[in-house]
Amino acid sequence: MKKIKVIIVDDERLAREEVKRALKIYEDFVLIGEAENAYDAKVLIETERPDLIFLDIQMPEKSGFDLLESLDHVPAVLFITAYDQYAIQAFEVSALDYLMKPIREERFAKAIQKIREAIQMKSSLNDSTSKDRKIFIKDGEKRFFIQLDDIYLIESLENYTRLFFQDKKALQRRSLRQWEEILDETVFFRINRTEIINTKFIQEVHTTMSGRLEVKLKTGELLEVSNRQSVKFKNQNGI
Amino acid sequence: MLNLHEKNTFTTALKKIVLKTTTALSTYWKIQLIGWITASLYWGVAAFLSGHFIWKMGAVDLILDVAIGILLTHIYRNFALKNGWNKLNLKMLLPGIVLSILILSLLYMVLIVGKLYLVRLLIFKNETDSFLVFFKSVQLQVFITGTRLMSIWVLAYHLYHYSRLELETVKENARLSIMIKEAQLNNLSAQLNPHFFFNSLNNIKFLVIENPTAARRAIDLLSELLRNSLNSNMGRLISLNEEINLVRDYLELEKIRFEERLQIKIETSLDLSRHLILPFSIQSLVENAIKHGIEKRKAGGFITVKVAMENDFIKITVQNSGQLSNEIKGSRIGLNNMRERLLLQYNGNASFEIRQMEDETVLATILIPSR
Repeated sequence: MKKIKVIIVDDERLAREEVKRALKIYEDFVLIGEAENAYDAKVLIETERPDLIFLDIQMPEKSGFDLLESLDHVPAVLFITAYDQYAIQAFEVSALDYLMKPIREERFAKAIQKIREAIQMKSSLNDSTSKDRKIFIKDGEKRFFIQLDDIYLIESLENYTRLFFQDKKALQRRSLRQWEEILDETVFFRINRTEIINTKFIQEVHTTMSGRLEVKLKTGELLEVSNRQSVKFKNQNGI
Repeated sequence: MLNLHEKNTFTTALKKIVLKTTTALSTYWKIQLIGWITASLYWGVAAFLSGHFIWKMGAVDLILDVAIGILLTHIYRNFALKNGWNKLNLKMLLPGIVLSILILSLLYMVLIVGKLYLVRLLIFKNETDSFLVFFKSVQLQVFITGTRLMSIWVLAYHLYHYSRLELETVKENARLSIMIKEAQLNNLSAQLNPHFFFNSLNNIKFLVIENPTAARRAIDLLSELLRNSLNSNMGRLISLNEEINLVRDYLELEKIRFEERLQIKIETSLDLSRHLILPFSIQSLVENAIKHGIEKRKAGGFITVKVAMENDFIKITVQNSGQLSNEIKGSRIGLNNMRERLLLQYNGNASFEIRQMEDETVLATILIPSR
């Protein structure tokens, strides 16, 4: 059986050692690296592509949240915190789990079990086009773990983009261009200069008098597709 | 023609103007006018009932009576304000008041008798006696009236201000005691930083395996800190020695946590056991230095605590690696709290400041009188 690859991120050596020690008895988990700050962690995560990170929230300069926000690919996350559990409870969409230092052995076992189940549900672990891909975003005080597939519309607002997902919105510093790089192009389609839509959310497509396409999403938005993108859309979908 | 809306705005505007003029008249002037008009009307009515009443003369008398009454008492009020009589208690005021009433009554007598004579002589031309004869005939009655009116006025004036002063003192005291309570509460919760506490426990948990001796030491330190924060009474002073030991224990524990990321130095150059200090004052500065200085830096840094005597003051400094700009946000309450505690304890003779130094360090300084 394929082992679950783990990275530990915590600025305190003793705290990392303690997680390592606790993890040792679970043979289906393998530690592939540790980092003592968000910078090192980002590099490590991007090169090693772990399945799971144990993540401390309070770290020097960049917090655990900042780290997650900087990642295009967010693996499963187990937060470890001494006291600021409220920061995690504020999640709109919850993380896998969070553990409080010092961690009780039975509580640790429970978290491990939860992770096994979550990871088993995914068909392929490291597939970059996997539909389960999650990102972590922050909008003001709100924090979200969102499945990329849950996003149905991204609109550009000068230097920012606004994401629409579920019944929520969030402002992000990424540009539409950057979003295009991250998103699966078989699912997402750029309909004009300022908007990207999730094609799974299309309810109806009309042709307007001028020959352009008009898309109606299941969520109710009525959007116009530019001339150039109308042609592309028609070709792609054989209309 | 005005429509209804315009009419409404017109009337509200009118009301505003009326309100403005009435509010412009202070309570003092309202009472002055009402009081003196009432008193003068009383004399008018008395004269009217006595039989020989001339309306014209009654009106002139009324206006002049009001004017004289207001003039005299207003002069007295300005005098009392200038000499701060409003802030004295009644006992201290008594001699001044008695003398003032006497002078005011005499002045009142002269002015009123003069007025009576002149009004009758110049306007009604029915006074045949010389002024001196007239004066002698009415002086006593007018003087008694004057004494009565001035006593009422002066006493009412001072009683009003005295009650106001009393009320303000009560309010001020209440505010102060609330401030002290708040400072105590805030500090109480600041003393035992839960983040630090649980991190320490977590570290000890692993140390038990890696280095049992260090683990046992850490348990001792943590117990001591816990005991101190549970037992401490924020209002009582403790010896500087106790406070420094607390800081040592705390920093030793943080050293276990940060390892080589934290460098500690504590320098003292006076007999610590002979001086007193507010409990947790140095401790909270050191904790601040960890939280906003060391913890925020990847490479960590140093903390230096110095206690020295300087011109009859005990000078305590806590210097640490870090940037003040990051610090201000979260800990402003804590720092203000420190200022407030020092102010309450030393009546403004102690000082506290925190500033950014050029070499990327932050320096916090407390100065307290040495005795």
